[in-house]
Amino acid sequence: MDSDHEFYDMYSDDEEEDSNNVDESNIDIDKQKNYKILKDFDIRQLVKEDISKISTILSVSRDVSLALLRRYNWKVDRANEEWFANEQEVRKSIGMFLCDNDNNNYVSVSKKSKNNDNIVNCGICFEEYNDVVYATCRKHPFCKLCWEGYIGASINYSGPNKCLDLRCPDPSCEAMVGESIIVELASERDKSKYYDYLFRSYIEENKKTKWCPYPGCECAVEFEIGSDDYSVICDCSNGFCWNCLEEIHRPINCDMVAKWKYVNEEESANTNWFRAFTKKCPKCDKSIEKNMGCMHMTCRCGYQFCWLCFKQWGVCASRCNRYEEKKEVTKSKEKIERYTHYYERWLSNGKSKDKALNDLKEMKEEGLKKLSNDNSLPEEELGFIIEAWEQIVECRRVLKWTYAYGFYLPKEEEAKTQFFEYLQGEAEAGLERLHHCVEKDLMKHLRSDEMDYTDKGSYKKFANFRSRVIGLTKITRNYFEKLVMALENGLQDVTNNPTKKIEQPMSSNSTSNNIMWMCDRCTFLNEDIHTVCQMCIED
Amino acid sequence: MQASRARLFKEYKEVQREKTADPDIQLVCDDSNIFKWTALVKGPSETPYDGGVFQLAFSVPEQYPLQPPQVRFLTKIFHPNVHFKTGEICLDILKNAWSPAWTLQSVCRAIIALMAHPEADSPLNCDSGNLLRSGDTRGYQSMARMYTRLAAMPKKG
Repeated sequence: MDSDHEFYDMYSDDEEEDSNNVDESNIDIDKQKNYKILKDFDIRQLVKEDISKISTILSVSRDVSLALLRRYNWKVDRANEEWFANEQEVRKSIGMFLCDNDNNNYVSVSKKSKNNDNIVNCGICFEEYNDVVYATCRKHPFCKLCWEGYIGASINYSGPNKCLDLRCPDPSCEAMVGESIIVELASERDKSKYYDYLFRSYIEENKKTKWCPYPGCECAVEFEIGSDDYSVICDCSNGFCWNCLEEIHRPINCDMVAKWKYVNEEESANTNWFRAFTKKCPKCDKSIEKNMGCMHMTCRCGYQFCWLCFKQWGVCASRCNRYEEKKEVTKSKEKIERYTHYYERWLSNGKSKDKALNDLKEMKEEGLKKLSNDNSLPEEELGFIIEAWEQIVECRRVLKWTYAYGFYLPKEEEAKTQFFEYLQGEAEAGLERLHHCVEKDLMKHLRSDEMDYTDKGSYKKFANFRSRVIGLTKITRNYFEKLVMALENGLQDVTNNPTKKIEQPMSSNSTSNNIMWMCDRCTFLNEDIHTVCQMCIED
Repeated sequence: MQASRARLFKEYKEVQREKTADPDIQLVCDDSNIFKWTALVKGPSETPYDGGVFQLAFSVPEQYPLQPPQVRFLTKIFHPNVHFKTGEICLDILKNAWSPAWTLQSVCRAIIALMAHPEADSPLNCDSGNLLRSGDTRGYQSMARMYTRLAAMPKKG
């Protein structure tokens, strides 16, 4: 609970504007989220909290805490345990020696007394100094100037891991150079680079945090490990799967996505070439590339045929110029056609999703304000448009991935296939209605000059349109939730009692059938025992 | 610029003072350019390089000693971690494990150590690396020995 509270606190500023737009009927959209979006500020805060936790519990300096956290991948509990189990070993491994007076900042910028008898040679420039700096080893003195150079070079040229885990310049020495020395001696630019590396390490080494994979987005996501819904929607409006970092792909699982992507890459490269340049031997099914001019083909298997009509050579003679409808499709061709069917639908729904996502972003950024000005309607009353667009984006995404699901659905399972196609078809039809309504009808109502919404009659028309969009949004959401649920449990309803469920779509054409009735609003077929529509019913 | 010059000057003086300290290494600075050095190192005993004298060329960057010097063999040498044609050396302390506390003198010592302990798993000279990795120590040694005789020893007569 605590964490949720923080989450809302953090975002109270950003979301104030949006929250006003949320229509009452849509509040249930914000389910309990199992992740938090972290921005730059939040990451800083988390790092700070973890450091102070460790340094309070173990009463060690900030430098030691930071080194410990880095050593144990930012796991506070683990760091504590290891420390209590064997402090000496841990100290050695992180290069933080000096066990006494730990509480005083035992760091390392120690100015030796100014007496002349204390002159030492810097180990880098070999000059004599009486004012030198040590790392925690207290053995190898270097002058301030050389330290600055050493730290600067490590930040700029040696990569994040080396500078976050910086050791004493003496090659034989393992002593850690703590954050406090770095902060004191690095230039402003290098310091901010150092902290960038540090925060990056926090996100990347932590098991429960990841960066948003979308280009240009600087947010990170903290995920509640153990929760089963991997879908994450970042503040940049892009959704991704926490587990595989691909786009959100419910209802299919990560393995299937990987498989599908692999097939796509394979297919697109291969099939294009095969389609353009090869044909299969009608007898042995091997791919053949035509590398000579004439149509007389002789396959390796010995079969001779006409390149154009596939008939045995000599049979067609002068007949293959005539158009004939194809009767037989070879097996492999059927396979490719099946794949193409699903792939094309997968692709176009994906494109449609991207378009919708852009529309949503544009609407959020400018569109809504413009609509509100043009039609003299307060922005709060137009929030439903955003809701609708968000729904469209999500549905397009789900629909897209159901096509990959369909491809992998075994053809033998006819009942499942039918049920799947029925659910998918219904959901798709609902989505098309909503998409059309928001994309096209919106123009009629809000982009035409005839309407004047200060006038009462016209306002009523607008109110009707509004409630229609809200209704459609809700219905579409219900359809898709059902679809996702059904697919995620592997369409089990059908296996349990196959006859009952398949009957439904079969009998859907006849409204006179007294077992079913069709809802006027959403066209859902309801069983007779219900008096209100089960699809667009109020919750 | 100043810092690297000053440091190199100190190293120069140190080398002059302890000319005889390490009989295996003879480090010489270019007359006109303090950023160019050459060294003559003796091949370590009980290795195929024994008896040879190898010439190294140092090119010191302006950020020295924060950045490592560039070193390569001028004398041809058959060694898994030395490029057979260019003489380039694959040694961690000349790359990411460099420490500003190293000196040109200590780099020479590290190179002598590398000659005695080749790292066959990160080869710049694959032929040499493969001989060692396949366990053909004798083959490696005779090749290395031959090139030492041909290139690193004074010609007889």
